Amino acid sequence: MLRMSSDAEDLLQEVFVQVWHQANRYSEERGSPEAWIVNIARSRAIDKLRSIRRMERSFVLTDDPAKAESSDNVESSAAESETKLTMNSALANLPEAQRKVLVLAYFDGLSQSEIADRLKEPLGTVKTRMRSGIQRLRDLLETKVR
Amino acid sequence: MATAEHEYWREQGEIYALGALDGQELKDFEAHLAAGCPVCDAYLRETGETLNLVHRSLQPVTPSTAVKDRILRQIAGDKVVPITVAQPKQTRGWQIITGTIAACIIGVVLTGTYYNYRYSVYSSVVNLLRDPTTRDLPLYGAGPTPTAKGRFLWNQSGEGHIFVSDLPSAPEGKMYAVWTIAQQSPPRYVGTVETNPKGQGGLHIKTTRSELPVETFAVTLEPVGTTAAPTGPMVLVSKQS
Repeated sequence: MLRMSSDAEDLLQEVFVQVWHQANRYSEERGSPEAWIVNIARSRAIDKLRSIRRMERSFVLTDDPAKAESSDNVESSAAESETKLTMNSALANLPEAQRKVLVLAYFDGLSQSEIADRLKEPLGTVKTRMRSGIQRLRDLLETKVR
Repeated sequence: MATAEHEYWREQGEIYALGALDGQELKDFEAHLAAGCPVCDAYLRETGETLNLVHRSLQPVTPSTAVKDRILRQIAGDKVVPITVAQPKQTRGWQIITGTIAACIIGVVLTGTYYNYRYSVYSSVVNLLRDPTTRDLPLYGAGPTPTAKGRFLWNQSGEGHIFVSDLPSAPEGKMYAVWTIAQQSPPRYVGTVETNPKGQGGLHIKTTRSELPVETFAVTLEPVGTTAAPTGPMVLVSKQS
């Protein structure tokens, strides 16, 4: 998600220390311990990613405003994430349009409106693709469980 | 709540679980959750577990060994926080009532299903006993279980029932396979019988009619999944050796 291994290692340290300090806050009601730790890691990674993005945007805007608005930039970021996907993964089994919106939301931390803006697609289309993608993941999960 | 309205919240919940809901829709959904919606709570939790698949799609990367040292150094001076199971939130009265009713309904359904099953087994055994062509054969312990006992009710139409007693539970990875043996024919697997902690068990058997009359009935201890031919020791047999 963070692309720089040094950023990822800093984040890993922060997450482990947070889990160490807040282990007594874990509740089974919220899901499995794995889900709890992954949520902490993802939420911190997205915060960091958004702050990096804000910083990059301000630098790019002063340099070349057109470049900051280019959808190619974001597309390449999502594509970069996708290249790291394992071939047999659940995401790899989704149609490209569904995978793209899920990757932008899950790994790049973009909201539905931001994704619609960047992909130049109607908000309704983005929502439908997200929901279809999640439904497909759910079906894959059920198939694996069976 | 109307189904159509709830369908709307369910759809919003999927995008919320992904972290992509924003603007007024986000505020509305959070207000809906805050008002207390057990259906959405449960659906969100389930969607969250599904989305856990997503991070597993990434190729794992091993961090440098320095990270582990840094983490251990950072927590070295900390007081250990005991891990305790978080107490569930205060349950509302209506939730208790609904839960109790649901538990009663499930209990009644499960009890009904259990008694239906027991009744169908008893009826089948009674029908076998009513049939004058049904044979009632004693089973004798053999090999590793000489004190085991049993009875085999068998009808030449291919229906039967086996009762066993004093037969210890099959060890891990093993099962008790039941065989019928007709004259000059290889043993035929007809089912697996399980025993309770008291060593008792039973199995109702329905197979296709055998061409030749069955002469011997046997139970052998087999590795789980063995159905082609007996390979393990005989633990019960219809003819005393």
